[in-house]
Amino acid sequence: MKKDQDLPLKNDIAARFVPKIVILMVYLGTLCFTFTFFLIHSTRIWEEKLTTDLSIEVPLFSEVPSPNLQTQVFDLLKRTPGVANIDIVSQTEMKTLFHSLLGEDTNIEAFPLPTIIDVGLNRNESFDIKGLEFHLKNISATIQIVDHRSWHGQVSNLLFTGISLALLLTFLILFSTLVTTFFATRTSLLIHREVIEVLSLIGATPIYIAKQFQRNAFKQGIIASSIGSLLGLCTFLGITFLFENAGLPFIVSETFIFEAALIFIIAPFITSFFMMISARAAVMKALCS
Amino acid sequence: MIAELLGVGHQYQDGPEVFKGVSFNIEKGSFRFLTGLSGSGKSSLLKVLYLGLKPRWGSVKLFGEDTFKMKPTLVPLLRQKIGVVFQEFNLLDHLTVIDNVSLPLRVRGVDEKRSHKHAGELLNWVGLGDCLKAYPPSLSGGQKQRAAIARAIITRPQLLLADEPTGNVDDEMATKLLCLFEELNKTGTAVLIATHNQRILKKFPYLQLTLKDGTLLQQQLEKKAS
Repeated sequence: MKKDQDLPLKNDIAARFVPKIVILMVYLGTLCFTFTFFLIHSTRIWEEKLTTDLSIEVPLFSEVPSPNLQTQVFDLLKRTPGVANIDIVSQTEMKTLFHSLLGEDTNIEAFPLPTIIDVGLNRNESFDIKGLEFHLKNISATIQIVDHRSWHGQVSNLLFTGISLALLLTFLILFSTLVTTFFATRTSLLIHREVIEVLSLIGATPIYIAKQFQRNAFKQGIIASSIGSLLGLCTFLGITFLFENAGLPFIVSETFIFEAALIFIIAPFITSFFMMISARAAVMKALCS
Repeated sequence: MIAELLGVGHQYQDGPEVFKGVSFNIEKGSFRFLTGLSGSGKSSLLKVLYLGLKPRWGSVKLFGEDTFKMKPTLVPLLRQKIGVVFQEFNLLDHLTVIDNVSLPLRVRGVDEKRSHKHAGELLNWVGLGDCLKAYPPSLSGGQKQRAAIARAIITRPQLLLADEPTGNVDDEMATKLLCLFEELNKTGTAVLIATHNQRILKKFPYLQLTLKDGTLLQQQLEKKAS
């Protein structure tokens, strides 16, 4: 028995299940948190790559000859406030797009492919889509305008919900670990009631007694959460391997690797610190009330 | 003044009154015996003094603090000034004898090396020098008693309360232990010993507080040649 431990907490029946729960919770928590960062980085990268807010479809056959029509649309777009960039989707890109939709064997040349103009907007300037639509219809009634911003927003909202849920789940996991520690400590206090009573009678302060539980909770926490974190790291590496093998990039950025590594390293310390606080709170609440 | 009891009375739930209207003082450096028949309330009265029992009636002042009005955070600090030899010894079975005895020092923040040194010396003196690493369940009643006494006096408390400290030892050891209490008393510790050992009472003629029918009587015995 170590001399800094006057209570026989090491062989405590009440606390035996705590490390197993902590291993599971830290395992789930680290994965959940890593997944949150993955979503955050993926969203950021996706948003950075998104330059197209609108697509304007100029049909091949119209009442106005095609080259003139394109020029008129271009001129109109250049004059329109809020337009940042204008790009014509090349015929090669169009063919690739159609091949992926209709199959490699399809003869694309046989189709009257329209000209697609991608338009990027300046987010800091106001933009009047109704006005643009009106002017485009004046040029030719067959010109179509597709606004991508609505589904961009929907996808962004979906990702934000995913991030929020992952964060909520992480905090629920941490919270349940703390609650488990709190109640395990309360049970432990009941089991060791007689020893605690003797310690109190010889002058031990509640803080002295709480320290014994704190140390025990910290030791249990650091060992169990290290195991949980290590298992989480193994799963993370496994997922990365599977994704990369399937040609899907999982390591979305260097910052993501750094953050993921940080999560696996600091999770045991944060968990054991909070377990220590929880154990202290349980003892102080019981002995000081 | 170490302790002042005024009109103290207690009753466990709806049972009879254990004692009533008990008033007495314990001065610094005093030596008292608390006597009375078995079940007369000696242990309960000691419990009141070491803050293990809140009496139903009366007022108790310890080291100038009114125990009814003081903050709970003060309780451990007052207890640190009191050494208690419990009737049931209250040794911690999972700790060795030396750890048990050095416990009050550790609680007060003394480091392990120093606390073990003191505990070792004291245990040698009470004849438990060869049981330092033994665990309480392996000790006899008398050995446990001596370990409990060593634990109670290791901090040189201002007040020593002992509940039947000679109940499990032979006369020779009982006398030796009482001499130890006397030595401690000479250094300023107030001593209150609950006992019904008549031989001890005759040999050590200090003021006796006798609990009889729930009330307290005081008498002084004349010293006899030992």
